[in-house]
Amino acid sequence: MDPVESPRPPPSLLRRAHFFMHLTRAWDHRFESMARSGRIGRWYSAVGNEVCTVSAALAMSPGDALSTVHRDLGAVLATYLDPTRLAPALFSEGDATAWDAVRPPPAPLLHRLACQVLGKRDGFTRGVDRSFHYGLLRADWGIRHVGMISHLGAMIPVAAGLGLASLQDGAAAVAVSFTGEGATSQGDFHEALNLAGVLRLPLVLVVENNQYAFSTPVSEQYACARLSDRAVGYGIAGETVDGTDFDATYGAMRRATDRARRGEGATLVEVMLPRMRGHAIGDGSYEIIPQAERERFLAMDPVARFEATLRERGLLDDARARAVLETATALVESAVENALKAPEPDPVEARRPVFAPGEVATAFSSQHTERRHG
Amino acid sequence: MAEITYLDAIRRALLEEMSRDPNVFVMGQDVAGFGGAFRATRGLFERFGRLRVINTPLCESGAVGAALGAALAGKRPVVEMQFADFVSCAFNQIVNNVAKTYYRWEQPVPMVIRLPYGGGVGAGPFHSQCDEAWFTHVPGLAVVAPATAEDALGMLKAAIRDPNPVIFLEHRFLYRREKFTLDDDDTEHLTPLGKARVARPGELITVLSYSVTLHEALAAAEEVAKEGISVEVIDLRTLMPLDEETVFASCRKTGKVLVVHEATETSGFGAELVARVADQCFEHLDGPIRRVAYADRPAPYNKHLEAALLPERGAIVSALRALARY
Repeated sequence: MDPVESPRPPPSLLRRAHFFMHLTRAWDHRFESMARSGRIGRWYSAVGNEVCTVSAALAMSPGDALSTVHRDLGAVLATYLDPTRLAPALFSEGDATAWDAVRPPPAPLLHRLACQVLGKRDGFTRGVDRSFHYGLLRADWGIRHVGMISHLGAMIPVAAGLGLASLQDGAAAVAVSFTGEGATSQGDFHEALNLAGVLRLPLVLVVENNQYAFSTPVSEQYACARLSDRAVGYGIAGETVDGTDFDATYGAMRRATDRARRGEGATLVEVMLPRMRGHAIGDGSYEIIPQAERERFLAMDPVARFEATLRERGLLDDARARAVLETATALVESAVENALKAPEPDPVEARRPVFAPGEVATAFSSQHTERRHG
Repeated sequence: MAEITYLDAIRRALLEEMSRDPNVFVMGQDVAGFGGAFRATRGLFERFGRLRVINTPLCESGAVGAALGAALAGKRPVVEMQFADFVSCAFNQIVNNVAKTYYRWEQPVPMVIRLPYGGGVGAGPFHSQCDEAWFTHVPGLAVVAPATAEDALGMLKAAIRDPNPVIFLEHRFLYRREKFTLDDDDTEHLTPLGKARVARPGELITVLSYSVTLHEALAAAEEVAKEGISVEVIDLRTLMPLDEETVFASCRKTGKVLVVHEATETSGFGAELVARVADQCFEHLDGPIRRVAYADRPAPYNKHLEAALLPERGAIVSALRALARY
């Protein structure tokens, strides 16, 4: 693709990115430990994906649609939360963005997210569905987030449809969608990108290529050199970036969102990531990665590399590094502790309606099968 | 006043609802300038333009998934499957994504998926299937199957207005055969969803049917009436959710029940009807609940072979006579 130069991200954006990477990682560490101790059933760690997910979120504008799968906590947090209110000691007044001005108070939203992941009553699905399987559509907050179903690739056409609605409305909003390299083998990947190409949809598809899908290495997943090469086949833009390099990744995300916003269509951004964890914690998929490769991946830690860059640029010192780490850890600890103490859903929640109010819902609930179960 | 066909009714419902609500749009293969394989969307592209009458590539799953995304963004998409048989390519999007969204996170999904369906036209195994039971099994989907032109208009309009996903089964055999007369300026002709209709009142036997076989059932009822067998024919109209009040009232009144549908018999929607009637009307029944349905085979191509499997009037008449004697 054309190497359009993007401006180097300003210090306030870098501070924000740094904070969200640590908040994401602190969250992962907390849930990984709960998964190992059996306190929660499964945890799909996002360790290693932080630069990718946070940079994509920071390339978005209020009202853009976000579609995530299970290692995209960084994008969720960076989209939902105003860091200047969540961690005021770490930010100055000038760090707040126009989007922050319409974002809701961050602590209650963080609490709802923790409750969601733990299946509690106050989560977004009130215990009905797991972790990131939900949506949050609050145009007034600038947040339009559609979560996943377990079929992963199935969300790409949905993201294309979010972009389609934007096109129909003549709006500048774009849809940013995440998926893994495994899901690129599914038919929905092809159908959605082809549709996006033909209809010139404002879609950014971020493929988080962490080298393995469960236990399947990329050599058994696809035979092309780079997944972004597939963009040519759809008549859309495509590029592959190093997901341990914040400037490169953020630049790619900005080029993609800017292009979509200008009406120039979709981009496939393949982000190369180190596999720093297995598929789910404790499922044996980490152990099958050869030891030397695991060590190589761990040494590629994107957050560590980002911090080194910040230090080189004089934007991070020991005191701030410690403060960010401690603040992120404390925020997560408090959110998780409160969520663990939060009420379980009422069992009646399991029988809540499958239809939105209207003729169909009324007729459905009058059936004897419903009356018996209800 | 104008006489309009079942197919005209579909087109008119789309035209009226798109005129009424700018969020309503249609998408599917060949639906734009060409007007769709059956011309159900003819004229809409010229009237509403390329952003509301959208040709898609050949991608049933991509189209339904994109319709879901648009619905989540406030639109009311109407997706046309070229033939109902091809909806299997969109199965995952419908049963796992579209159907489960409202239950999972309480976001309504106003969407209609139009399925030109059914056999009797010598179209072979991949252009003849009756798909209703694939979808009635899935919580979160409404499934409707109008038998008349009047209901095709009224139910499609109601389906577009409902905040839930509706699988809209429109029978190809009825497209040009069914007609009704409507005032030109009547743009609010609505048929409520979830309401069955007594298509023919009777006393001795209840026939539960819908879509194309309703007409066979009515003809059979007329035939056996000459023999003194009084048959009540119920047009279910909406399969899911089922209007149990109308169905059970008729079954309790007559005490004998025959279920007729074009779909294959085993695990067809008739099985659900039989189970519900047996459960709720048992003490009123004077005989077994029988079914007349398609033999458990794919649809053969040759029209003589197809006719050998279709649940036709003769089979319904025989079943009615046997039930009357029981």
